[in-house]
Amino acid sequence: MLDAIASTWNHWDLIVSFALRDIKARYKQTALGVAWALLQPLSMMVVFTLVFSVFAKVPSDGAPYPIFAYSGLIFWTFFSNTISTGTVSMVANATLIRKIYFPRETLLTSVVLAGCLDLAIACLLFAAMLFYYKIAITAAVLWVIPLVILQVLLALGFTGLTAAAHVNFRDIGHALPLILQLWMFASPVGYPISVIPAWLQPFYMLNPMAAIIDGYRRAVLLGTAPDLYALAVSAVITVGVLALALPIFKHAERTFADVI
Amino acid sequence: MADTVVDLNGVAKRYRLRRGWHVTSLGDEIVRLGSRLLGRSVEARDEFWALRDVTFSLERGEILGLIGMNGAGKSTLLKILSKVTVPTRGSFAARGRLGALIEIGAGFHPELSGRENIFLNGAIMGMTRREVQGKFDRIVGFAEVERFIDTPIKHYSSGMQMRLGFAVAAHTDPDILLIDEILAVGDASFQAKCLNKLAELKEEDKTIILVSHNLSTITEHSKRVLWLDHGTVRMMGEPDTVVDAFLEDLTEEKDGEDELAAGSSRREAGKPIAILDVTLADACERPQTRFDRGDAVLIDLTYSASQAMPGAVFLVSIQDVQGYPLGGVSTDPDSLKITGAVERGVVRLRLDPLILNKGVYTLNVQVMDPVTKRYYEIKRRVARLLVDGQRASSRETSGHVYYPHQWEELR
Repeated sequence: MLDAIASTWNHWDLIVSFALRDIKARYKQTALGVAWALLQPLSMMVVFTLVFSVFAKVPSDGAPYPIFAYSGLIFWTFFSNTISTGTVSMVANATLIRKIYFPRETLLTSVVLAGCLDLAIACLLFAAMLFYYKIAITAAVLWVIPLVILQVLLALGFTGLTAAAHVNFRDIGHALPLILQLWMFASPVGYPISVIPAWLQPFYMLNPMAAIIDGYRRAVLLGTAPDLYALAVSAVITVGVLALALPIFKHAERTFADVI
Repeated sequence: MADTVVDLNGVAKRYRLRRGWHVTSLGDEIVRLGSRLLGRSVEARDEFWALRDVTFSLERGEILGLIGMNGAGKSTLLKILSKVTVPTRGSFAARGRLGALIEIGAGFHPELSGRENIFLNGAIMGMTRREVQGKFDRIVGFAEVERFIDTPIKHYSSGMQMRLGFAVAAHTDPDILLIDEILAVGDASFQAKCLNKLAELKEEDKTIILVSHNLSTITEHSKRVLWLDHGTVRMMGEPDTVVDAFLEDLTEEKDGEDELAAGSSRREAGKPIAILDVTLADACERPQTRFDRGDAVLIDLTYSASQAMPGAVFLVSIQDVQGYPLGGVSTDPDSLKITGAVERGVVRLRLDPLILNKGVYTLNVQVMDPVTKRYYEIKRRVARLLVDGQRASSRETSGHVYYPHQWEELR
């Protein structure tokens, strides 16, 4: 784990370069540019508001449903985009991997970093919505920082596993969109945790993203601390995933150039 | 001063040749696993050892030339040295920063400007942003792309892209440098720059591993030469000794994967004309494939024709070991005419004197109609010509072709 932190520190310039490349390349020759970073969560918010709130009358813990959905969606989008881009990042950079050595995990970290920009842009609109709905922010908003860190670590761990697997088995590329979609519905993105039956809750909270997304909502919309017990479970799972992913990725990395 | 910077010990590399060339699906893997559980060996058939038991070490400031035929394992060795891949067996250790002038520009992104790509590529090669900043002007100057530095490199010519890639790689300031075909980049003036850069690096006591098909480049720059043959170290030592042995071996190797074994002995039915055999001989008509510069070389083309072909022209061309054409000569259809069906005709080409410098050359033979430009027969690499000996080895010339010459001092 310390190695990974040291490597990230030592190769920070490379990570930034990759992230800049991805961001610049992503929005070159597009008419809307970075506005695309807003359109994804925004359009999902409209759909969710219609389906969950207007049609199905799902509650939203007292907050107006659109901002409730948007707050879940931006963090989920960050998570799922990181994983789906990260997973294919090795194959997407195949020519580079075949020809030049550099620590391959920098590609994953750079995906997270590039994702942070999209998240920041989405958060600007979030701030505007908070203002519109007259929701006051309290000191509890600082909880967002550890939550983002936890979420980033979880995404890195998970994508380390899927990226390494994807080099060898392209099946992952087909399965992942499905998995991420199921995962979103298993997380409190469009609905509050309160609608989950009590007997199911202990199992439900095994999904590390459940406590994280719920935590964001409490911190920003309700101005309270996250459910610390659930968050601890989530942190333990995250550390477990990371501890599994790091050695597996570093081992698989040795033969990426041969099989990619 | 035993200051070892590169150390390989028993390095071997295995590749698996799987169906669909490496891109596997989970299904394949389950089948493989299944047959392994049943005790069936699927491995042996599907594997290929690109390198076997390669052991050598280099000290600081050493320059190693790496030679071998295509497929001998040079690229695999470079991949291991550059840490792109790891050996299947054995150990490899390198001390210091590694730089590679291989596949330069691999990290370029076409949408980004030259400036952005310099920073990106520099970072990929292990430089910090500040380091690139400090060398930026020198890199741009070296690549000669000042005017286009803020243009996306997708608008660059391929030559400009290569120059930029080389410029970044050459400025990474590595301790160990891998160079693959240094002279394959750019025009003459840029090549001169590259050679000067190489000389500069030599003076700075860098450890260099040089790969080239051009044997004179190798002997000129290396202090030691390693000859790879089918994945093993065939020989390592003094440049001249190893290169001579390599050339010797090339001529002895009669056939192989190439078409060098002089083709079929019969003409296929329906083909109007066919080259049956190509033989080389010395001035006394003794079969010979090894000549010194200045010798006479007789090249006999044995052919078979089914009908009169008054327009047919025979063409013999010579190329270097990389397949680069050096020139050809053809018959004159007015003086040499095939007037009727011939079972075995022979045309002799006499090269006298031979004006090739030391090296290995191969011959292509073609028969064509000069008016319709239709080829009746094309045979590539039908014979090998080894040029070696006292005159051929003299250091007064460079390149492949020897120009009969005199120097005079006028003032």
